[in-house]
Amino acid sequence: MSIQVKGTIDRQGFGPGTWALVTESGETYELHTVPDELKHAGLTVKVSGQVKKDVMTFAMIGPVLEVQGFEILNS
Amino acid sequence: MKKLLIFALFLLGLGWAISNFSGLATRGTYDSIVLDFKESLGKAQIEQEIQAIARQYQVTPHLNSAFSGSDNVYLIKGNGVLLNTLRHSHLARATEFIEPAYIYSIPEIISATPEPGSQGLTAPASAESPAIRPQIGAPNDPDYHKQWNFRAINIEAAWSETHGQGITIAVIDTGISPVPDLQQTQFVKGYDFVNDREDATDDNGHGTHVAGTIAQSTNNHLGVTGIAYEAKLMPLKVLSAEGGGTTADIAEAIKFAADNGADVINMSLGGGGESQLIKEAIDHAHRKGIVLVAAAGNANQNSASYPARYPRVIGVSALDAMGNKAPYSSFGAGVDISAPGGSTADGNVAGGILQNTLDPQTGHSLFAAFQGTSMAAPHVAGVAALVKATGVSNPDEVAEVMKQAALKVKDDGLNHFGSGKLDAAAAVKLATQGKITFRDFFRWLRDNGYLNPRFWIDGGAVALLPKLAMVLGSYLLAFLLRNYLPFTAPLAWGLVTGSSGLFFLRCISLFDAPQWPLRLLGSSIPELGGAIQGSSVLNPIFASVLVPVGLLALFWGHPRAKWFAIGSTLGVAACLLISALVSPTLVWLGEGMVARLFLLVNALLCFGLARLAVSDERRTA
Repeated sequence: MSIQVKGTIDRQGFGPGTWALVTESGETYELHTVPDELKHAGLTVKVSGQVKKDVMTFAMIGPVLEVQGFEILNS
Repeated sequence: MKKLLIFALFLLGLGWAISNFSGLATRGTYDSIVLDFKESLGKAQIEQEIQAIARQYQVTPHLNSAFSGSDNVYLIKGNGVLLNTLRHSHLARATEFIEPAYIYSIPEIISATPEPGSQGLTAPASAESPAIRPQIGAPNDPDYHKQWNFRAINIEAAWSETHGQGITIAVIDTGISPVPDLQQTQFVKGYDFVNDREDATDDNGHGTHVAGTIAQSTNNHLGVTGIAYEAKLMPLKVLSAEGGGTTADIAEAIKFAADNGADVINMSLGGGGESQLIKEAIDHAHRKGIVLVAAAGNANQNSASYPARYPRVIGVSALDAMGNKAPYSSFGAGVDISAPGGSTADGNVAGGILQNTLDPQTGHSLFAAFQGTSMAAPHVAGVAALVKATGVSNPDEVAEVMKQAALKVKDDGLNHFGSGKLDAAAAVKLATQGKITFRDFFRWLRDNGYLNPRFWIDGGAVALLPKLAMVLGSYLLAFLLRNYLPFTAPLAWGLVTGSSGLFFLRCISLFDAPQWPLRLLGSSIPELGGAIQGSSVLNPIFASVLVPVGLLALFWGHPRAKWFAIGSTLGVAACLLISALVSPTLVWLGEGMVARLFLLVNALLCFGLARLAVSDERRTA
């Protein structure tokens, strides 16, 4: 399922750390295949990607969003 | 003839056993020989003998201690050869006995200091390391004092019974690396399902940390401790360095563990959707007698994630250092038990779970404090290993032991804690006593397929006996007014609504759905005050005569609904009466005498009101 999500990049403290995207409504996505440009907590971004229903993770913070494209809105 | 043959064989066996019995004497070591001279010998003669021994055998006899002079007990340095020689010399006649001076000692605790560079990412050390002997009291690992989480589950008392010897725990995770504080932990063959190879070392650090909680080398004068530190670990890598893995790999790992001798499986992972593949793998593992444990999830949501929510998997929520639900921990449907997961919010490292792991950037060993339901699950897996090591083999019984032994949390309407907080000591004690009863009828019902697995049945959500007492009590009150009451359906509904509500609905949760509608339907009128937020503490506005007064005022003119109102009033009276006797806990009024009095007075007022209403009804009829 391909979707586009707008939110803020966050580094969440599970295991050695996990990249997350938190939407304005408070929904949290766990980001996978994160490009280095997105690895900055606090970035407001628009990410397009696929929600991976067949993937489990140790972070367990929300749906896994495999990043396919992104747009940095402001830093 | 036959009897004679059997007797001869018996004698032969007995003779063989005696000839092979090494005896206690040969087990000890000695480097000295004791000579106990006969007391009939004079001091001078003994002195002569001593000097003769010294000359002949080049030894220096000396009294064993300052107290040995009166008993004539002397020690000389010597081995078995000298012992034999002395026993066959003339000294044999001058002594009471000549024997080895055995050295007795407390079994030595084997210590391990990591070799420089031992933290590399090579295959885990195989199972040949010597077993670490137990010791009484706290272990000697220098950072054990930072493991608040182990004290929270009473681990030391559990260790006095078992350390998990003979049990194998499969850790389905990012792999396990042989960090220094796992050097004395035993491993069995695992597999890396991400890279399809036998070497299942860790490239993230999560799996090694989880493995540490389960079986970190303990009493090794290094770092921290693990729960079942004499159990064996089976590393199964299904999560990549990034921390994700496919349901296909996870299902295969579960099957691998089941088919390769695992006793317990820990899955500190979750997410995704329902997977038939994983469900089948879980059922396969369960049939083989394996205890499956999984983390509830870190999304702070109502409902545990997969695989924790599958039947036959023990779902674990996380506690912080204060024993509260950790802020991130998921809860509700699918949570069977709670255990320390820590919280490192605001950089509070001391609030996390400390274990030896590796830095994913450098691959070097480090001690890190992590948080998560990922950290809570291995506490339960470790204790499951301890319980199994005591001899409880059935996985349902192991789960039941841990649940029954858990420290109960009284007001847990949202199921933050499952059956309670994990208690290792109580679990091991219960397991060794062997008195396990399956008292949870609702879960039995679910496990036996009577209900759809999309429902979650929490048999512990409602105290059944007080509820039954409330319903029966309301009928008893109605019976007292039987001359006035028509026992019609509205009255019956009123009695149930006022006394107990459809309380069994409170036991049912729908995964991923809000729980409050069922809680509302499952509450009696006095319980409505706390139904939305899931509190079992009564609100004095609802738990009083006020609502019955309102209902009677509202329905008095209606020929059928008024009987519902009257029934409700009697039901509320019964509910308040039983609450006053059993658990008088009220918002603002506490749980003391004041609360009890408040409930009793309101119960009487309700009964009086109902009596007044029916007598008025009879008069006007």
